[in-house]
Amino acid sequence: MSVRPIAIPVAASPLHDRPTERRLLSFDWILLTSTLLLVAYGVVVGYSTAMEDRASGADVGEQVLRAILYAVIGLSVMTVVALVDHAWLGTFSPFLYVMTLVLLAMVLVIGHSTLGATRWVSIAGFRFQPSEFAKVFMVIVLAKWFADHEARSVLGLAGALALIAVPVALVYRQPDLGTSIVFLGMFFGIALVAGARPWHLTALLAAGAAAVPLLYGHLQAYQQSRLTAFLNPYADPRGAGWNIIQSLIAVGSGSLTGKGLTAGTQSPLGYLPISQSDFVFAGLAEDLGFVGAMILFVLYLVLLLSVLRVAHRSRDAFGAYLAGGVAALLGFQIVVNVGMAISLMPVTGVPLPFISQGGSSLISICLALGALQSICTHQEVTSAVSSSSAAARGS
Amino acid sequence: MLQQGRVFVHPRRLTAVAIALVAIFVVLSVRLWDLQVVHGGYYRSLAEENRIVRIPILPDRGVIYDRSGKLLARNDPGFAVSVIPVDLPQDREADVASRLSAVIGRSVDDITKAIDEQRTRNPYEPVKLTERPIARDVALLLMERSELYPGVNVSADALRSYPDPMLYSPILGYVGDINAEELAAHRNDGYLLQDTIGKTGLEWEYEKYLRGTLGWRTVERDAAQRELGTLSVVPPTPGDDLVLTVDDRLQRLLSYELTKGVQEGKWTAAAGVAEDPQNGEILALVSVPSYDNNAFITGVTQSQMNAWNSDPRHPLVNHVIGDMYPPGSTFKLVTGLSALSTGVATRHTVIDVNSMVLTVDGFNFYDWRAHGPLDFIGGFANSSDIYFYTLGGGNPNTGFKGAGPEALAKYARMLGFGAPTGIDLPGEASGIIPDPEWKMARFGEPWTIGNTYQESIGQGYVAVTPLQLLNAYSAVANGGTLYRPHLLKEVKTADGKVVYRPGPQVIRKLDVNPADLELIREGGRRAVTIYHAYMPDSKLPFAGKTGTAEFGLSQGTDALGRRELAFHNWFVSWVPQQYNYDPTARISMAIFLYDSSKSLCDVCLNPAVGITQRVIETYEGVSKADANVP
Repeated sequence: MSVRPIAIPVAASPLHDRPTERRLLSFDWILLTSTLLLVAYGVVVGYSTAMEDRASGADVGEQVLRAILYAVIGLSVMTVVALVDHAWLGTFSPFLYVMTLVLLAMVLVIGHSTLGATRWVSIAGFRFQPSEFAKVFMVIVLAKWFADHEARSVLGLAGALALIAVPVALVYRQPDLGTSIVFLGMFFGIALVAGARPWHLTALLAAGAAAVPLLYGHLQAYQQSRLTAFLNPYADPRGAGWNIIQSLIAVGSGSLTGKGLTAGTQSPLGYLPISQSDFVFAGLAEDLGFVGAMILFVLYLVLLLSVLRVAHRSRDAFGAYLAGGVAALLGFQIVVNVGMAISLMPVTGVPLPFISQGGSSLISICLALGALQSICTHQEVTSAVSSSSAAARGS
Repeated sequence: MLQQGRVFVHPRRLTAVAIALVAIFVVLSVRLWDLQVVHGGYYRSLAEENRIVRIPILPDRGVIYDRSGKLLARNDPGFAVSVIPVDLPQDREADVASRLSAVIGRSVDDITKAIDEQRTRNPYEPVKLTERPIARDVALLLMERSELYPGVNVSADALRSYPDPMLYSPILGYVGDINAEELAAHRNDGYLLQDTIGKTGLEWEYEKYLRGTLGWRTVERDAAQRELGTLSVVPPTPGDDLVLTVDDRLQRLLSYELTKGVQEGKWTAAAGVAEDPQNGEILALVSVPSYDNNAFITGVTQSQMNAWNSDPRHPLVNHVIGDMYPPGSTFKLVTGLSALSTGVATRHTVIDVNSMVLTVDGFNFYDWRAHGPLDFIGGFANSSDIYFYTLGGGNPNTGFKGAGPEALAKYARMLGFGAPTGIDLPGEASGIIPDPEWKMARFGEPWTIGNTYQESIGQGYVAVTPLQLLNAYSAVANGGTLYRPHLLKEVKTADGKVVYRPGPQVIRKLDVNPADLELIREGGRRAVTIYHAYMPDSKLPFAGKTGTAEFGLSQGTDALGRRELAFHNWFVSWVPQQYNYDPTARISMAIFLYDSSKSLCDVCLNPAVGITQRVIETYEGVSKADANVP
């Protein structure tokens, strides 16, 4: 079994035997550059929010060191994964799936609670958020599934849906509505890239939309009020609308060029809630203004388009779907998080990739991006694949 | 599994995803442009407001004086107790709550609940525990032993106080915590949730003067309400002071007499009101029994409230204005004036009252004695019922034509009956002036001559408030001007500048012949001089009209244990400057004694007459005061 469709016929190709150094040099340097810049941006914003939040008594130096440590760990993980043939990840997918379920179940059993939701677990003194890893693992699992099963068939699609349903249910139980939504968004992204029939996807979306009223009734009161608050935050300005209004004030008051790093007022005075994770974008927009936000958006866009280019360049289905899934995962989280900060989306606890502080998110993303680099460096038979794929299309 | 024959990725789909991503970022960027660049200034000012808040400083409420400067309502310095949960260690909370409970009189559970709720809501924000201000000594205790009360704050919070609660509660009313409805109604007048507001009486009526204007302290603070520093202070403007027309000396004298009768069991309740007929200034206004309005400031217990509400004498009602009674013979003013004005009677209209009974259509209408022939003055002074039956309803037996019910109603209303007088107090009753139309609408029955007879002597359907009666007689005493009675003499700022002086307010000039009014004044004087209104050795030119209004069975019993027909006693009087009938009176007074038949005396002198003589003579300084008057 191979994920490289035409690996065997070209095994003896001279290209196959080119030196490792040269293979490694075929990594996607645009993807790498944008990744590094985003990681650095995250560290800077982390420093700023830590300074602004110093009233809370936390040690700024420690927080910045921690952010740098996570960046180093993340980049190391990325490097290691990039060196490994990404096909390996596909091979591990059943194991990753079981691991995902175990991690998520663990949260429910031994997790720590913050703000009414249980999302953290401690293992050997390390606190981490399993749902962050679960997201990346599920991208791998679904990519592998679609690589092996025809997305155009009802069974292929239904199988993938069944796979994702269990972790979605577990995450929802935490309760973490935001991550559940990200899982589903990522599923649709992969299915779309994998070639699922548009009308199948449309039917699924329609079914989902039909189920919304049912699910809404089933939600916790605080989730309901968050969902409705974004429609009109001023209906309950000191209650459910508080976070949204304060976030809007933070973003808006940043104006064109921002108040300057560490000079924001919303967060140090305690108006901006959880400014280092969920509402980190509001703090960034307050400090660095429209310009800073645009720089972030450009970096994101470059990163996401590079990821899609990897999907395009991939010579195997798994790699292509994996890249598509990562693009969907990151894109969805960005939209949900930024949309929440500027009141285009309901408030859900989804981190902003690279910028939200917390190791789990950053390391898991780095893992995924490492796999994408691996796709680039492990496709030594470019021309042969091209001709073969052209032939396949022609047949 | 080999995937060779399969197109595993559609470039078009990737393009679609790329386009979708770009589109999404464009949408986010447009929204950001709108928020940050287009509306950046707006949000920047909101962020400033977040940091800089204005904290209200409540103004001192205006105080209230009588006409000579005696303090009737004041502000005692009081204190509020609050707790900042973050400063109160959780393990000491139960201990502090139980201590506080003993000091501020709230249950431990209440206090603990309030603190715990605040702890989860915002532990940096103080939560006020006292619903009402506490006294100075209690506050001092808390401050001196502050080590026993960690996190407990004591701050100034004035306490309204009424030095003479029972004497003035019907006039002053009281203040209380603002409720949701009042807050909604006064939202634009700068009222806050922790405000007090006048609930009734003058405290309610002149709220806008008494309240003052909020001051503001501008402070910088963080979202947890921690104050970082004061930036500026706009001091509050204290409320304006009220000077009343009421004379404390007269108020005291009148209240003493009326209260004494209640205490001695001579009547169950009483109302007395005096005014200056020349301008409508109320000189005294007494309603007995009354209530302790200080109780509303420190908190009325449920049992106290129940006791007041179940008392058949309605101590919470101001009987001078809020309740209506049959006026009895005092209403002969209306009958007489109607007859004179319609030409039915003149001074020389003589009716021979040779029997105690007038029989019309088989019904008997009684007088209190067979007076013999009476002219108008004699009829009024002796209060002959048959004389006034005849003037009001005529006499079918002799063919005498009376004024009729329409004329009675017309002149009653002209004199101010049947409508609120417009005194500056809430809760005034209208009274009832019946006429044929009213009876048909109310009972669906036609008017009878018996109704006219009853109305002519102030019985039947007629109902008046003591204030209406006084005000009508005052209009007679001053020569024909009906003034709006009022309690407010002037409004002064805290530093003594007069900002408002209502002055006399004319409701209407009576559309009657002044000579007819003089006849009434002469009749009123004659009632005193012939001792119908018994004022032995009177030292002032009193004039007045008695009234005895029957209302069913008395609470009292006679020597044989029979319950007698019950009645209320009235006396309305005025005192001209000289011994003549000129409209020069500077004081008029109405006294109403509820169920004064309780005493069941044999020679029933109307006790209201004696009270009037004692009170006014003492007030005018021509008699010595009863040593017991406070």
